[in-house]
Amino acid sequence: MKSIMQSIKFYDCRIVGGSFISIILDNGRIEEISKNFTRGAGVRALCGGSWGYTAVEGEIDLKHGIEAASKLAFSMNANTPKESVELVSVNPPEIKNLPEIRIDPRDVSIDEKVGLLMSIEANAKVKGVHSTKVTYMEAEFKIEYQSSDGLECEYELLNVGFAVSAVASENGEYQAGRESRFGYGYELFEKENVMELASRAGNTAVELLKAKTPKGGEMPVLLDQELAGVFVHEAVGHASEADLVLEGDSILGNRIGKQIAAPLITIIDDPTLHEFGYYPFDAEGVQSKKTEIIREGVLNSYLHSRETAAKLGGTPGNCRAQGYSMPVVRMSNTFIDNGDARFEEMLEELRDGIYLIGSRGGQVNTGEGIFQFNAEKGYMIRNGELTKLVRDVSLSGKILEILNHVTLVGNDMKITAGRCGKAGQIIPVSDGSPHLAISKALVGGS
Amino acid sequence: MYELARKALKLAEKIGAEEAEIYYASNHSTSVNFRKDSLENAKDRFSEGIGIRAIVNGAVGFASTNSARELENAIEVAVAEARVGSQDPDWMGLPSDGKYQQVTGIFDKRVETLELEECIDYAMALVEGTKEHPGALPTSGGFTRAKGRHLILNTNGIDIEEESTVVSGFVDVITVDGQTSTAYDFAISHSLDIDFFALGENAADLALKSNGGIKIEPQKIDVIFHPFAFSDIIEDVLAPSLDADNVQKGRSGLIAKLGKELAVPELCIYDDGLIESGIETSASDDEGVPSQRTTVIEKGVLVTYLHDNHTAGKAGIKSTGNGLRASYSSPPSVGLRNFIIDYPQKDVIADTEYGVFVNTIIGSHTANSISGDFSVEARNAFTIRDGALDEPIKSLMISGNAFELLKQITGAGFDVRRVGGMIIPSVRVSDLSVIG
Repeated sequence: MKSIMQSIKFYDCRIVGGSFISIILDNGRIEEISKNFTRGAGVRALCGGSWGYTAVEGEIDLKHGIEAASKLAFSMNANTPKESVELVSVNPPEIKNLPEIRIDPRDVSIDEKVGLLMSIEANAKVKGVHSTKVTYMEAEFKIEYQSSDGLECEYELLNVGFAVSAVASENGEYQAGRESRFGYGYELFEKENVMELASRAGNTAVELLKAKTPKGGEMPVLLDQELAGVFVHEAVGHASEADLVLEGDSILGNRIGKQIAAPLITIIDDPTLHEFGYYPFDAEGVQSKKTEIIREGVLNSYLHSRETAAKLGGTPGNCRAQGYSMPVVRMSNTFIDNGDARFEEMLEELRDGIYLIGSRGGQVNTGEGIFQFNAEKGYMIRNGELTKLVRDVSLSGKILEILNHVTLVGNDMKITAGRCGKAGQIIPVSDGSPHLAISKALVGGS
Repeated sequence: MYELARKALKLAEKIGAEEAEIYYASNHSTSVNFRKDSLENAKDRFSEGIGIRAIVNGAVGFASTNSARELENAIEVAVAEARVGSQDPDWMGLPSDGKYQQVTGIFDKRVETLELEECIDYAMALVEGTKEHPGALPTSGGFTRAKGRHLILNTNGIDIEEESTVVSGFVDVITVDGQTSTAYDFAISHSLDIDFFALGENAADLALKSNGGIKIEPQKIDVIFHPFAFSDIIEDVLAPSLDADNVQKGRSGLIAKLGKELAVPELCIYDDGLIESGIETSASDDEGVPSQRTTVIEKGVLVTYLHDNHTAGKAGIKSTGNGLRASYSSPPSVGLRNFIIDYPQKDVIADTEYGVFVNTIIGSHTANSISGDFSVEARNAFTIRDGALDEPIKSLMISGNAFELLKQITGAGFDVRRVGGMIIPSVRVSDLSVIG
């Protein structure tokens, strides 16, 4: 073991412990109350050009974990030697500016939480809605990090959130509306107008029953803040992750310094904001910091880990993990910065097209630069005015074409919490944007 | 924690659970992953934990942990939650009839004892396979082997323990010259019967063939979905409406459709937890209900929804053995077992005069799973002319409705493939809207 350890040039450990609570109120009944306690550690070791990773759970024996990860790295490197991996050096992070919590959710009784869910449900159950589901989530966890190059730091976070969905039906047709919010501290339920959000979910479901699917084709589109946020996350954010760039699997490879978007566009990733993707330091112990991915249309920076930053030149701080999984390059809070267009102006500019609202999610092929996502609903735009409501509208296209077809950027940026999956790991993120006017895009319909 | 499971069950009863269930699961996995054509890392992960369901007055509480130290606390929390939960008048009790059929082909001793060096060889085979077709390079992928064990105990006498092994391989490739195109291939099995080299080869071949795509006009057309593409639609758009929980709660597009003609009469769909070596095969589901073969659609007619023990109790019938869990940390809910799409087979491409063939799709998870409406982006798509694949298509959006689509199936291929638990051929659907 000693000789193996001499060939290990770096190792690090993340110990994550905490609990997760969920309460589900389904059609007026408490369907499920569950609580999960978990504790484990992920250990990485680097030998030459190979990483070894091991996870240990329950009673944690770090020494054993480090040895196991080191053995894996050593054998990998012995079997398939390759160019050695370098890591950029970093300073110990300063833990500051953690989200302040005014009402600790742990001080709120289950009965009170159930009561809150009941009122949310009552508000979602507008006329025409026949099925509702409300979920409350609360997570508390502590992350401890240490590395062979001397970093040692820790932080604790506590977040809460809720999701409400409502289903309306008529003549065998079903439509759903959904809303959710996540944040820090139980005061979230005061800050966000949750009852209004709940009735909005109900109303959306009912309205959509009357909506039609539009005829698909190429047309001018106006994206609302949420859908534009999904676009910036899916289409630009993922392609800017440096691990994908290094794999040769990103359309943004070799384009730093080049104009890739309309000059109106500035895209930022900022984990220091107290949004759902917040962290004080990343999964490599690196101080979180703001990154301008695109500045006025020019590709400015990829998102980096210590390894990708050493390979491509850049600053680390975007390496993240679900629990104690092996960290990968990820986004945090990613958004298009405000422009100066007013909503009415954008409608006027667009004249005839479609206004797409809300998101049912999306997916991207970063290598070919193609994305697809689905709006919750939309309105046709005729002569600069919103007309009939439409549903089941999707948008797909080429990342670089859409970025260049943006003609106006709104002044009304909004950030929405979400979850992002990559490499089999799901982590909290947020994305945002002001309204975006796009001169042409492919809209899918009937 | 395995040895604590029986004690945990007793403790739950002792502190007031009228019924209780212990679900123990452990998993040990090893994976070797590559980036471009060189191996990047090896991961070794052992996890285990216990989930406790406690029932008081027909209300259910659930807690779980991976720490032996927290186990007692978790049991107390589960019982306390059940005390504040809503009483469910439809609660018919935890499963009790534990007579199981023996299943085969889910454990391979060779997988359990694989050395890291062998895992490295399999991962390298994925990479080497891609080199059979110069012009395409792997971007990422890997080989994984795992061994799992679970034990289910409840106060109604359920006591079942099973072990299984799994191997899988995944490879993503991209073309390096000319236009960029990508493709992937993957396979998963309980035993070492996967040709990893061939996965790499297939992915590279498909990426190269997809290069230089053309644009096609918007139209209604015959679309043949490769098993990868069709299984995405089945899983994301159709399956949620077959879930009896969604039906009972008014969130399914198939409410009141039992006994109704849902699909073309040639189509049968089975859900089967027992078939030899199926990925979703095991003697019981994740709450101890014996696995079975369920006819879901017979000759186009919807025969049953899929049930776990809870939804079956509500409906006054027996569970279909579909109570599944994502992990020990979640309570059971309805999920698919091995899901078999059966349609008379033929050389479906040769049988198609004009149409498109779609290998994979992106975005099926964004569909409206209640109404069944979907709009997805097709990848690695080709035109079909005179019974043969013709030219690659650059970009193609396909819109439709999963329920309508079942009535528009006009053919299926000989190429039945296991896609995870889905056992599925290429399926031809007529008259689908596409936008190029």
